[in-house]
Amino acid sequence: MSRSVLYATSPLLASKTPVWRSKFIVGMIALGFVGLGLRAAYVQVVGNEFFQRQGEVRFARTLELPANRGRILDRNGLILASSVPAASIWAIPEDVAHDDPQVRAKLKELARLMGMPLKDLMGKLADEDKTFVWIKRQLDWDLGQQIVGMGIKGIYLRKEYKREYPEGEAAAHVVGFTNVEDKGQEGMELAFNDLLAGKPGSRRVIKDRLGRVVDGVGEISPPVDGRDMQLSIDSKVQFFAYQKLRDQVQAHKAKGGSVVVLDAVTGEVLALANYPSYAPDKRQNLSGEQLRNRALTDTFEPGSTMKPFTIALALETGRVRPQTVIDTSPGRLTITGSTISDTHNYGALTVEGVIQKSSNVGTTKIAMQMPAREMWETFSAAGFGQKPQLGFPGVVSGRLRPYKTWRPIEQATMSYGYGLSASLFQMARSYTVFAHQGQIIPATMLKSSEPVVGVPVFSPKTADAVRKMLQMAAGPGGTGQKAQTLGYSVGGKSGTARKQVGKSYATNKYRAWFTGMAPIDRPRIIVAVMIDEPSNGVYYGGAVAAPVFSEVVQQTLRMMGVQPDMDVKPQIVAEVVEEPL
Amino acid sequence: MTRLNIALLLAVIASALYLVHTQYASRQLYTELDRANAEARRLETEQQRLQVEKRAQATPLRVEQLARARLQMRTATPAITQYVVNPLPTPAASEVQR
Repeated sequence: MSRSVLYATSPLLASKTPVWRSKFIVGMIALGFVGLGLRAAYVQVVGNEFFQRQGEVRFARTLELPANRGRILDRNGLILASSVPAASIWAIPEDVAHDDPQVRAKLKELARLMGMPLKDLMGKLADEDKTFVWIKRQLDWDLGQQIVGMGIKGIYLRKEYKREYPEGEAAAHVVGFTNVEDKGQEGMELAFNDLLAGKPGSRRVIKDRLGRVVDGVGEISPPVDGRDMQLSIDSKVQFFAYQKLRDQVQAHKAKGGSVVVLDAVTGEVLALANYPSYAPDKRQNLSGEQLRNRALTDTFEPGSTMKPFTIALALETGRVRPQTVIDTSPGRLTITGSTISDTHNYGALTVEGVIQKSSNVGTTKIAMQMPAREMWETFSAAGFGQKPQLGFPGVVSGRLRPYKTWRPIEQATMSYGYGLSASLFQMARSYTVFAHQGQIIPATMLKSSEPVVGVPVFSPKTADAVRKMLQMAAGPGGTGQKAQTLGYSVGGKSGTARKQVGKSYATNKYRAWFTGMAPIDRPRIIVAVMIDEPSNGVYYGGAVAAPVFSEVVQQTLRMMGVQPDMDVKPQIVAEVVEEPL
Repeated sequence: MTRLNIALLLAVIASALYLVHTQYASRQLYTELDRANAEARRLETEQQRLQVEKRAQATPLRVEQLARARLQMRTATPAITQYVVNPLPTPAASEVQR
């Protein structure tokens, strides 16, 4: 036996392998398989749910489906408020390489783009412990894209929505605004926040390695977009009213002013403007003066604009007729020690003349013939001391004390508008009594097409008679002649109320009012104007507020397509030539 | 018997492969759908943005400024308006004349 290799002779190999070894190996391998089988059974059957869930967590994502906030439209469907995408810039401070000169230059550029000082930007990036810092929210979308394009590490963009208000400050008080979280804060945005705000939906999806959505899992809850609100406001009327008011407030160096335009047929608010105002999308450094919606939230003593109600009541109850003569001389009247006076001694005036000349003495003499209860009932029915049902935030009710507490002098002063208070809006609405056949009609800020149902306060005959007096008051010999406007007959009552300062009346602070309607025979609109503290020499309602009334009436009726009811001397130069077809 | 089994095995394999393929196709289609939806949404917001922009360009303030400054227009008053009677009164006209 020749062997070339000698190792077989090794005594180690010569020893016999025991059989149990191979059996052991086979056993172990079998055991391994059993183990695997058991594990497989466990994963697939017993712990299936757990593993499925774990797997899902790693690639399934819940996506939020954002809902659009509804738009606010004017009565003609023009946009007053709408949401547009905005870019909000945020950062992870730790990831921003402050020391790199290239990055520093980019940060400088970034600060310039965002219009914020570099120091502020660096301040926000200084805190490296934070993992999320807002740099600036709600920037223009295009600007945001530009910033992303710069590619600074650690600076990111998140898409948000912001509100745009095309009408700006003219409609600011009506429309209001939202905060950065898209919640209404003021005006209609607040009043109808629930309707405007949509409900975001969500869905679960499976994403692949590249972040692409490859499959949907479970049910989708679709987003519900907010509803559009259509207001009764006409943005053109609103703009003109605001413009005229602003010009007048500035010209008379007044503290502020308001104007309300009501549709006398439907009770819709066509315009409601206040000055000073603000730009709803630039709200830094706002003062309360600017924010306040004076027409709805401030109450004042209406002064002479109240007189028509006293007179109407006397007419309605048959105590006087329009031609009844009242002796107002000597222009003063003393009731329980207090003296009521007129600016002139008007002598004997007819009831019409009392309104035309705005005689306090005449009104008082008529009022003293009536029980306090009747006056209180009439004033209440006309909406004084009652909150207008507008659904608008901050609407006030004004003050009208119960008649049982009225002293005679108070009944006298209330008859010409002192001792009770009302907002300009209440005043405008109360005049629907005269404009709408003796009925008070509900006012609304939302566009309505249904005919209104009014509550009768006076008979149509009384309303007609008072309208005639209002026309006289705004005509020759009246206190509100500046209310006249080209082509349309107007009627209205001016008022000049001393402002109450503390417990007494200030001698040099006034509020000028004018409330009226046009065209006077069939009123289509009611316009109320209030100018607060005119301090440029003149302060009478007929001089300060009436011109605003005149211009607003002119523009509004023309825009509504109401044909002039008065003859106008035409100034048309060119001949109208029929065009050949 | 064996032949039948082989045939069935082949059928199962073919069906399984086809299933994989369908799933793949379905995912791809889903991705596409999702992208299209996102695009639709983007276009919708873009449309809204443009509408607002258009409106902002046509506010009464801007119109008045341009009309006065660039076009030398002035506000119409009844004095310089010729009123004509519509021979066929439309509902809107009769509404106005009420």
